[in-house]
Amino acid sequence: MMISIDMYAYASKLKDINPMEKLALAFITLCVCLWANSIIISLAVLLIMTWSTIYQGGIPGTVYLKLLLIPMGFLILGVLTIAIEITPQPYEFLGSIYFFNFYLGVSKAGLITATQLFFRALGAVSCLYYLSLNTPMMDVMSALRKLRCPKLLVEMMSLIYRFIFVFIATAETMIIAQSSRLGYSGILSGYRSLGTLISSIFIRSYQQADKIYTSLESRGYDGELNVLEQHKAYSLIGYLKVFGINIFLISLTAII
Amino acid sequence: MSEYIMQTKNLCYSYSDGTKALDDINITIKRGQTTAILGGNGAGKTTLFLNLNGVLNPSAGKVVYDGKTIEYSKKGLTALRQAVGLVFQDPDHQLFSASVYQDVSFGPLNLRLSDEIVRARVENSLKKTGIYDLKDKPTHCLSFGQKKRVAIAGVLAMEPEVLVLDEPTAGLDPKGVGEIMRLLKGMQQDLGFSVIIATHDVDIVPLYCDYVYVLDEGKVALEGSPNEVFAKAEMLRNLHLRLPRIAHLMEILRKNDDFENGDFASTISQARKEIKTWRENLRLS
Repeated sequence: MMISIDMYAYASKLKDINPMEKLALAFITLCVCLWANSIIISLAVLLIMTWSTIYQGGIPGTVYLKLLLIPMGFLILGVLTIAIEITPQPYEFLGSIYFFNFYLGVSKAGLITATQLFFRALGAVSCLYYLSLNTPMMDVMSALRKLRCPKLLVEMMSLIYRFIFVFIATAETMIIAQSSRLGYSGILSGYRSLGTLISSIFIRSYQQADKIYTSLESRGYDGELNVLEQHKAYSLIGYLKVFGINIFLISLTAII
Repeated sequence: MSEYIMQTKNLCYSYSDGTKALDDINITIKRGQTTAILGGNGAGKTTLFLNLNGVLNPSAGKVVYDGKTIEYSKKGLTALRQAVGLVFQDPDHQLFSASVYQDVSFGPLNLRLSDEIVRARVENSLKKTGIYDLKDKPTHCLSFGQKKRVAIAGVLAMEPEVLVLDEPTAGLDPKGVGEIMRLLKGMQQDLGFSVIIATHDVDIVPLYCDYVYVLDEGKVALEGSPNEVFAKAEMLRNLHLRLPRIAHLMEILRKNDDFENGDFASTISQARKEIKTWRENLRLS
């Protein structure tokens, strides 16, 4: 799933927009959505972000929906525990069932809180999806660098990001090699193969790190991974849009 | 300016576990030429390269760059690493950034150049290696051959005097091999740098190299022009190598089919010339 998000980010039509702009849109809107705590605002955020991601970014709707279903599972479970109350006495319940000495029921207030929470969380998730589906990881890191995020942290992020793919490719070939020799044909052999896979990947990673260090050194590495980024056009209109959308959302809260 | 851009004098290197990887290596690299370091697996090619670039310190002997012995101070090493660029065999061991552009900018930035110069160099080396359209692609979406080019571009952007490549053709398809070697030749003609390649692909040696060293167990076992080295077929075979296919064919023709050739031939064009002369001679007699 992570890899497909990465793939869509590089294919997105919004890829070349200044990452700072997208970061601003995602985070300011996210904050407004969390602050407003109203179903209408949450729905508006969800709508705006989904529209931006699908129509402006060109991410396939089915993919987006599937991605949205992932947090939905957790969300529904979490919301259910809020909506359903357990009390010894029946209390303003819209409906309830008697269960031993307790009442399991749903109250109007609980239902409203649950729905609010559900849409609030979904709106927040859509903001984050807007960012991650339209911004390649390297751009996110470049924005973090500009925001004076600690250098070491960003360097670590970029190395981890780069080598996750090498790591996955190595693991994949190893798993294929193991299964081609019936390594995963039974439960016992499966566990044994998994064990050897993990230990050999660990050793491989260690060797890889050593080799990378050597090659960095040969290019004059002196403790800092200095790199230049490509300029991305900075647009005032983009920022105006960010503020426009959020002022609209905030004034919407005032109206309701 | 010395005639030899690089030299090693009695270079020895032992790893910390005591393995003697290089034993009294004396090689000289002529300016502007392509030198091949041939050798089977574990012959010490990579270790030699790491010594040339100052990543490893020799246990004994010295490395000479442009007439001057290398200093292993910070300043000396920076100068050396700018002058001698190392391209590793596996690009996944060299490319540390997920962005092609950023990776290529790493080397020149370490030379403390201004951003404008670095940008110009990055663009230039991306164009020279024919991967300018890949600059926005993430590293993990590139093919092996493309990654190899990015690795070369990353070193080229440091504008080295000597380009050292470890197995530049390993893992490439036949078309990729030809492309990479022609690319190197072309850039060498444009920019005038010297090239050292480690390889066990003997077929590319007579085509692209001017001089050959054969390493075996950390020692120089043979040296000479490609034809001189390939004339010693038996010795090469003892060193886990073989003749180029064409040279082998010519050897068989000579042994079994009464073929007489004056000059040694190890490339298609040389062989064609020899066979034509032979035919002419037969017709005349």
